[in-house]
Amino acid sequence: MRRNRRTINRIGAVGAALALTIGLAACTQGSSSGGSDQDGKTVTLNGERADFEHGYELAGEALKEITGYQLEGRNVPSTENYQQIVRSSLKTNSTTDIVKWWNGYRLQELARTGGLADLTEAWDKAVDEGWVNPDTKDSFSYDGKVYGLPMYKSYWVMFYNKTVFDEVGIAPPTTWEEFESNNEKLKEADVTPLFATQEAGWTSLIWFEELVSKIDPEFYQDLMEGDASYTDPVAREAMELWSDMASKGWFTSPDTAWDNEPSLFAAGSVAQVPMGTWRNGLFAESLEASDYGTFMLPTVHEGVKPSIVVESGVISVAEKAPNAEGAKAVMENWLNPDVQQPWADEIKDTSANPMVATDDPVLMSTLEQVQAAEPMELVRYWEAGPPALVETGVQYLGAFMADPSPENIDPTLQKLQDLADTEWAEWEDAE
Amino acid sequence: MADTFVTVVPTGKHRSAPRRSSALRDRLRSIPFLLPAVALVGIMLLVPFVATVYQSLTDDDGFTSSFIGLENYVRLFRDPMFGQSVLNTIMWTVGTLVLPVGIGLLVAVFTSQMKGGRWVRLAFVLPYALSGTATAVIWGFILRGDGALNQAIAFFGGTPAASGWLIEWPTNTIVMILANTWQATGVAVILFLVGLQAIPEETVEAATLDGASGMRMFASIIVPQLRPVTVVVIGMSIANSLRVFDMIWLLTKGGPGGSSETLAVSMYRETFILSDYGYGAAVAVILSIIVVGVSWAYLRQQFKAK
Repeated sequence: MRRNRRTINRIGAVGAALALTIGLAACTQGSSSGGSDQDGKTVTLNGERADFEHGYELAGEALKEITGYQLEGRNVPSTENYQQIVRSSLKTNSTTDIVKWWNGYRLQELARTGGLADLTEAWDKAVDEGWVNPDTKDSFSYDGKVYGLPMYKSYWVMFYNKTVFDEVGIAPPTTWEEFESNNEKLKEADVTPLFATQEAGWTSLIWFEELVSKIDPEFYQDLMEGDASYTDPVAREAMELWSDMASKGWFTSPDTAWDNEPSLFAAGSVAQVPMGTWRNGLFAESLEASDYGTFMLPTVHEGVKPSIVVESGVISVAEKAPNAEGAKAVMENWLNPDVQQPWADEIKDTSANPMVATDDPVLMSTLEQVQAAEPMELVRYWEAGPPALVETGVQYLGAFMADPSPENIDPTLQKLQDLADTEWAEWEDAE
Repeated sequence: MADTFVTVVPTGKHRSAPRRSSALRDRLRSIPFLLPAVALVGIMLLVPFVATVYQSLTDDDGFTSSFIGLENYVRLFRDPMFGQSVLNTIMWTVGTLVLPVGIGLLVAVFTSQMKGGRWVRLAFVLPYALSGTATAVIWGFILRGDGALNQAIAFFGGTPAASGWLIEWPTNTIVMILANTWQATGVAVILFLVGLQAIPEETVEAATLDGASGMRMFASIIVPQLRPVTVVVIGMSIANSLRVFDMIWLLTKGGPGGSSETLAVSMYRETFILSDYGYGAAVAVILSIIVVGVSWAYLRQQFKAK
């Protein structure tokens, strides 16, 4: 009897151990960064945008019809964690085949480490087919070779809540004075006029880049390229303007959660949100297309060339991609209109393929405004300089948002310039 | 099945000659038993530590790496952010020593005799069951500019501070220490309660007979007898405060502008945000030296005093 019970206990223990082993083994398979499938017909893609997941599925279905390869999207919700995962997994075989990244210096930084595969062939094919604007090649290249294909082309505009604008009795501004008087009226009506936060880290760059570029877009470009100084008068004027706007209470609190932005905007607690059109998909989830719109932020002074900040996320192939063949086939057809149409319709942003039109009314109106104004296209701060400069730069700008007093302007600009000197030297050293 | 019994009979005194050889043999025999533990500690702790020390002497950027000697350390000591980070780490250490340990002791002492004290205790112990991340998310809802605390202040007719709770230093560090106290007090309460139960009733009775009560009883009888537990609680608090990360990362990311960063956050930011793995490793080495140094000094002093 006793022996029986012992045997049962032993079987139980072995069973438990087995279950644990299987459980642990399953865990090792569950890595979000790596792994390919058994049949070799799936290409994995890692990204940091949860709202793109359905888009990946739709693009994947289209790709499957063309190439026979299915796309499997994965997602790491935090930008910081995501970058860290990509950097450490690109060195190994457990990377996904394709990774989402950013264009400009961010792409160059990753490409020069040797972690990315050369995509020049896929790029050339897209150019031959007329699927992409060949002038944009530089922002996807390093050392003459293309390392990323555009995921979308986003314009940075001001989203505004139409319901709130109607209630307060204002219209989208065409001059800076109108913009200011709108903000005053909104403030009087107890609505926070403008969204701003430093909570997500990178978001502190938005107002800095908007104000500098709306004062002098050429200066912005020079500043980004390291040819102008943060202590120059234009940068100072932008900071003074920023400080003044903050003192009037036009911005949300600098510690407002970035994730709350769409809900604050939809609820009308915040009337205007400066944002890339890549966020349009999220706004569209909680607002009817008739309830919100966009306008291009006017230039601060009359006679200044209109400008708009443009941004393209990219997808790149890992040099050590487990399914290199599949990844190559997918990349060669990524910009195919049959793939881009369902993709762009789902994410409600502009495709990098000029042949792909949009059916989203908000986006359509944005594109019309951009076409009418013919603005100078500027690279976003995030991609426009060496990543180490940008990452620490947004910290300093975030600290300024926490204390936007006039006394804090000069120390902040001096710190930014010292940083730019060091980091540009580092960047050039590493070349 | 018949059970077997082994009777151990004390064997009296050893003779001196075989003692030495048998001691040696005992030692040799113990090696296989020690091996698993030594190997585990070696592989899991010592090897990574040596690797980190080496990494701190390189300019590793996650892909390429070359030896640069002590350059990272020189840069570290010139970096104003590092000074801020050390200052915040000291604030955290002092804060966690005074608050969770102090409040934990008081709660344990007062509720151990109190009627219904168990329920009061529960309020302090429950948050300990939450993970640091969950705690940080909850406090985020409370402390942000549009959060519950400011809403409550406005509801009761007050004007919330325009500067917010998480934005300006030192307010941001102080409120995070308080938020951490809310969570960390529970474990101190539990440990002190165990300590209180271990105090022999006789000593308390004797003290009562001698006329001690209230503060006198607490300071001269209870506290000295809680000493072994206190050593553990303080030791844990020091280690916890030096490596605090989750709360800060979720509430302020060490910002704005690095103002609320501690060494653990600096280490993370340098390594994983700026991809300066060598520099991050240097911060890690300094942090390890501080944690080990402080713990060693504290425990040594405690054992000496005993």
